[in-house]
Amino acid sequence: MSTEIVGGAAVAPPASPRSGRAARLRQLAPFLPAGFILIGLFFVPLALMFVFSFWSTDVNLDVLPVWTLENYVNFFENPGYVRTLLKTMLMGAGVTLACLVGAFAVAYFLARYVSRRWARFALLLIIVPFWTSYLLRVYSWQAILGEHGALNQVLMALGVISEPSFLFVYNDVGTFIVLVYVYVPFAALVLYSSLERFDFTQVTAAQDLGANSLRAFRHVLLPQIRPGIITACIFVFIPILGEFLTPSMVGGASGLLIANLVANFFKNALIPEGAAIGFMIAVIVLILLIAFRRYLRVEDVYARG
Amino acid sequence: MASGVDALETMPVSHDARAVRWALRLWFGALMIFLYLPIAFMVVFSFDEGATPGLPITGFTLHWYDVLLDNRSLLRAVGNSITVATAVAILATVIGTMAAFVLVRGGIRWPNATRIAFTLPIMVPGVLIGVSLLIYFARAADLPLSLGTVIAGQLVFTVPFVVLIVASRLQSFDRQVEWAAADLGASPRQAIRHIVLPLISPAILAGALISVTLSIDEFVITWFTIGAQPTLPTYIYTRIKFGVTPEVNAVATIMLVATLLIFTIASVVLGRARRRPDRRPAEADA
Repeated sequence: MSTEIVGGAAVAPPASPRSGRAARLRQLAPFLPAGFILIGLFFVPLALMFVFSFWSTDVNLDVLPVWTLENYVNFFENPGYVRTLLKTMLMGAGVTLACLVGAFAVAYFLARYVSRRWARFALLLIIVPFWTSYLLRVYSWQAILGEHGALNQVLMALGVISEPSFLFVYNDVGTFIVLVYVYVPFAALVLYSSLERFDFTQVTAAQDLGANSLRAFRHVLLPQIRPGIITACIFVFIPILGEFLTPSMVGGASGLLIANLVANFFKNALIPEGAAIGFMIAVIVLILLIAFRRYLRVEDVYARG
Repeated sequence: MASGVDALETMPVSHDARAVRWALRLWFGALMIFLYLPIAFMVVFSFDEGATPGLPITGFTLHWYDVLLDNRSLLRAVGNSITVATAVAILATVIGTMAAFVLVRGGIRWPNATRIAFTLPIMVPGVLIGVSLLIYFARAADLPLSLGTVIAGQLVFTVPFVVLIVASRLQSFDRQVEWAAADLGASPRQAIRHIVLPLISPAILAGALISVTLSIDEFVITWFTIGAQPTLPTYIYTRIKFGVTPEVNAVATIMLVATLLIFTIASVVLGRARRRPDRRPAEADA
């Protein structure tokens, strides 16, 4: 084996003695368990959900392998279901917008006006809640928004209201507030990493050349951080399509979202009905993920901290 | 954040810019309150004497922590969670690391497509993974739901995490070090064990810690794939649905402390990894 030596280190890879089918299989072997999990426990079950969504149940709730479009037709013929689907989209859009605006201001502040050291620390503070129990964070909102919650107590003490109000909980408002709470750290994290790379002297230059702050923002800053904005949108909007815990805890009967329908159908063993809705959500999610695949920087969001 | 002085901050700024900066500072403070208020309430209520957690605080007590220690079913749920998290972390780390090597070092025909395929289980909402696994286990494979099915369900999204984190570290790995080892007579296996694995160990450890944290906290997939034995989150959920249970706040506080510990370890480890000189600058920021 001849190897060129430069500065004492071998720069050429050692020649691989193996070739052929058997060698290729040996090379692939370490990948197989992960491949099995990805295919066998993710893609196959999703495909199965698709198949089940075209089957029906008998009176004993046993699934019958009889092909039918009934589950989809029933969904679209029920105005309540369709409204829930549309509301979920609207809620997703609203929460995404609120998270973007709220997080952008913070990320901008940290990237532009705060030293990198402090910005890192502040970011850590923003991420910590996100790593604590999701279930318990949502639960603790009941202590704030609930009937005997802090918000009602404060408003009553101030004399704004005379008895506990349900304005903020067990409806869409409660779901909205808590969803913003859950997802704003994602948005802040993603937006900060793109603002961190932005050279703010460009804005100053634009202003020197006569652009007002708004124009400098729109034509200089915004185009450059667009990938970050898109990533943030995906990381907030998509999980909301599958949110059922937050609505079930603070949404009450009127604040339920589409995934609650899925969960309820499954809890009542109406599997094909649930599978049909589940599959529709999956299609929306997969289309979004594949369309925006370039913006899925999962490692950046999770491995940072 | 007054000490965060930036070059721009010393430049002459208009009155407006100063106002903007103050507004942003206030906004940052508001966000912090928004993020920490619920957690603060949780911790405070865990020490509150009142049986219905709420304002005003009636008095300090450790009673709810005492209640916890006597709660057999809760302790069993904690035990189940630890079993699941340990199994998930070990399996995900080993399986994910092996796959990352193949993914980065060739052998996979479409590495980019494969990488995107691995981001899907992370991004697809848990409820979809949960219900499709429920169909798969209960209706197709006829497997009884148990802690085993929970472990399998959690591997669906923890393995991809490890794959992506380790692969991103391997990508920036300087292979000349390994080739030098080969040149000095190390077999490929020896080079991986003694040179590559120690150098990428921070990423592997980070993957393991993320797996543990996500596993202990995981509710949605677990909720659909669990049998008769609850994990801590599913137990808490059932209790919350059942009625007001002040000791839940005490559990929450303990879990908060535990997660913070794991989180701190993870950031220290990752921070150390980040300072390694052989990382590309772009990734050092990530």
